[in-house]
Amino acid sequence: MNPAPAALGGRDPGAPLLVDDGRLVSVGEFLGQATAVAARLAGVRQVVNLCERRGAFLTGYVGALAAGATTLLPASRAPEAVAAVQALFPGARTLDDGAVAAAGAGPVPAGGVPVAADCVAMIGFTSGSTGTPSHHAKVWGTVAQSTRLNAAAIRAALPAALRDRRPWILGTVPSQHMYGMELTVLVPLLEDFGLVTARPLLPAEVAAALAATPAPRVLVSTPAHLRAIVASGIALPRTEVVVSATAPLEATLAAAVETATGGTLLEMFGATETCILGTRRTALESDWRAYPGVRFVAEDSATRVETPWFRQGERLLDRIEMLPEGRFRLHGRSADLVDVAGKRASLADLTQRLLQVPGVVDAVVFQPAAGAPGLVRRLAALVVAPGLTPAALRSALAPAVDPVFMPRPLLLVAALPRTAAGKLPQAALEAALAHAHGGE
Amino acid sequence: MSPTQTAEESAMAALIVESLNLEDVEAAAIDPDAPLFGTGLGLDSIDALELALEISKRYGVQLRSDDPDNRKIFASLRALTAHVKANRPA
Repeated sequence: MNPAPAALGGRDPGAPLLVDDGRLVSVGEFLGQATAVAARLAGVRQVVNLCERRGAFLTGYVGALAAGATTLLPASRAPEAVAAVQALFPGARTLDDGAVAAAGAGPVPAGGVPVAADCVAMIGFTSGSTGTPSHHAKVWGTVAQSTRLNAAAIRAALPAALRDRRPWILGTVPSQHMYGMELTVLVPLLEDFGLVTARPLLPAEVAAALAATPAPRVLVSTPAHLRAIVASGIALPRTEVVVSATAPLEATLAAAVETATGGTLLEMFGATETCILGTRRTALESDWRAYPGVRFVAEDSATRVETPWFRQGERLLDRIEMLPEGRFRLHGRSADLVDVAGKRASLADLTQRLLQVPGVVDAVVFQPAAGAPGLVRRLAALVVAPGLTPAALRSALAPAVDPVFMPRPLLLVAALPRTAAGKLPQAALEAALAHAHGGE
Repeated sequence: MSPTQTAEESAMAALIVESLNLEDVEAAAIDPDAPLFGTGLGLDSIDALELALEISKRYGVQLRSDDPDNRKIFASLRALTAHVKANRPA
């Protein structure tokens, strides 16, 4: 592996890096703030970065890198999720907006912040619907290589006349998860991209934030956010590249996004375990283009992923077929694993959680068939629990289950539609759900 | 006894329950001053998107919070109804 690049290495200190609250922040000013944060982290090995503001998050992240500390990314900012991470790393220091702002400004290091290739640059935690969260450590050398490919894919999607201009990123996703880290944190730190720190959610907010983003514009988003933007019919400024990840995007929605923005929709495929592995122009093609060097090896119902920049192969519970010319095709994933709003959970784990609630006789959690393109597919539950109410069941689940996985609807039924063999076919579950609705 | 909702708040409560598939929440029982997100009804950011979409269709108002981290317009049924009312096209 080549020597790892420095964070913000080789950048003109006077060049713009952020648009923060409408104010332009230069590379030099940013580095001074990050150095000041690093000075407060002397001797700290891990940092839990809880900054709400994207600019502060970025400063805290680079401060941690400069101090040689690993940033821990809890599955959410919920107290339970943060506590679970702190239990695993009792010495971890938490950073919030106030702590970053209070650090002030320090000296500006020439040549950016050097980081060793084997420095653990982040550990991402996935919620896991039971017990201890599972975690995935990423070393700097690996994420730097992967980030170079992400930036190259975005640049290649820009109109040829704009490829030598600095692209500006605006994200609707939080920086604290792996996709947000890759696109809204690592790309601006490792490639000559600017970042607008706003984090708009509602369509009118996205339109206003895009208007305040210098061109060429790169919108980093998800199918759920893009669906809302398209459905709102709101006018958007020309946005050269729109990146979507976290859940599969339908071709019709991709085409509608391209029409609304006048740009190219680039869908990225990856996982918390692997970072991004390839892209597709979803409006025009269904198969994916693997990043150079990515190799998929089928293993039963799973796939082993190998790349020159991983330290070791990673196993994904997706079935992925390698095609000629660096293309690949997704064939779905293990039926037990579901994605809701970009988070993964095991249906069996969630069902187990319900069965552990006192008074529950039988239960099943499942994901009903897809609705409109881009619509988040919530989970549903059928529960046999005489004397209990849905509200009581939700209260019992709440401490242990991420809110996005909370079954909605959660319906009480007299019995589950089990076959003679005790199985619960998807069709029978859907029918029971429809029947319960009709019976109201 | 359910909390007192105005007619406009009742209509908004019905829209929330319907558009978000809150199967077992009774619209009339939503406390106008209770938080919609987090602890109250337990809604999340995906719900905010759905709700904003329904409101733009029904009332012609594109919701926009000036401070994304402090979504005051979604603070409660009462705050949301008042915001939509104040921003409705004439």
